[in-house]
Amino acid sequence: MSSLEQNQRASFDTLLRPHLDRLYRISFRLAGSKPEAEDLFQDVLVKAFARLDDLLDVREPAPWLCRVMYNHFIDHRRRIRRARLVCVEESQLPGRSLESLPGDLDPVRDAERLDNIMRLDQALATLSDEQRLVVLLHDVEAYKLEEIHQITGDPVGTIKSRLHRARARLREVLSTDGTNSRA
Amino acid sequence: MTCTRLTEKLDDYVDGLMDRAESAALGAHIETCNDCHQVLARAQGLRESLRAYGRSSMPHPDAAFFDRALAQAARTGIRRQRSRWVMTAAGAAIAAGLVLWMLGGMFLKTPEIAQPHPVIVMTLEEPRTLNLVFSSATALANATMTVVLPQGVELMGFTGQRQITWITSLTSGKNILPLTLIATSPQGGELMATLRHEGDERTFRIQVNIIS
Repeated sequence: MSSLEQNQRASFDTLLRPHLDRLYRISFRLAGSKPEAEDLFQDVLVKAFARLDDLLDVREPAPWLCRVMYNHFIDHRRRIRRARLVCVEESQLPGRSLESLPGDLDPVRDAERLDNIMRLDQALATLSDEQRLVVLLHDVEAYKLEEIHQITGDPVGTIKSRLHRARARLREVLSTDGTNSRA
Repeated sequence: MTCTRLTEKLDDYVDGLMDRAESAALGAHIETCNDCHQVLARAQGLRESLRAYGRSSMPHPDAAFFDRALAQAARTGIRRQRSRWVMTAAGAAIAAGLVLWMLGGMFLKTPEIAQPHPVIVMTLEEPRTLNLVFSSATALANATMTVVLPQGVELMGFTGQRQITWITSLTSGKNILPLTLIATSPQGGELMATLRHEGDERTFRIQVNIIS
């Protein structure tokens, strides 16, 4: 590796590392399962390396990286979905198990929590992709509306109305199965 | 304040986006209205469930995953970068800032022809991509490229470095070397790109003028 390439590698590493955890979380929320999230995450890092010059010029790398990830996901959504169909077990239980939960050492409470997660998975699956994404980013990952606008490019008003409809739909689905009343 | 108002403003109320007076008025109504109290409880319950879902539904990649992902991205990026560098670009539209040198088959052994240096003009603090196009009659493997920048001009991604050297290969035909530069001070000067191959070398010079 030439000194130029070594320097590129070092700059890339320094610039990206603080944002990896956030990027990984978004990739999982977008893709919906661990294998696809890891593929999406890797694709975006490759794209980021190719645009290192642009990235070095960006004042706030995190929203820029999230936007690249979102656009990549939208462009490759069909392929990602196709891949997801293959992972039947993964989509039914996307990376979750009792062992992965923060331990209460109380098997009854852990089982209830896992049950709630699975019900929320099912309720979220009834939303459109756009609605699900805004709920996952805003209500699950605590992104502000303005930050979601920076990622998706959609107007804040559109995001807000999507969130409103998505929450109403979730309340309706969860009140039918009783989950929300226990929350 | 009415029950309809809560229906309209439920999200803003739960998210704390209402102004204080309106929020207080709606809160007072909820205190006295059992239906609205239940509506609010469901909305807050959903919010708490989703937050809890966020804390416990995320798989954690193993500790080395990020290291591997960064290394893989850099390897792939560098491989693509090298292939772009040796890409034959005949017929391609080249962006503004293109400078072209013709290299003969024995270019490094032929005397350098005195000719005016190309001049590019850059605006202070504004990045500009300069595409150096090397047109070579034959492929050149394992050539060394050294770029020396004028004082106050930096190659993006290599802050503080005035001389950068790497090994590359040229294909026969046109080879593009894109350099994204930024001027950090107004003096400008001469940019030199030196290509060395099997003991021979040739230096190409470009005058960089800066306007503020």
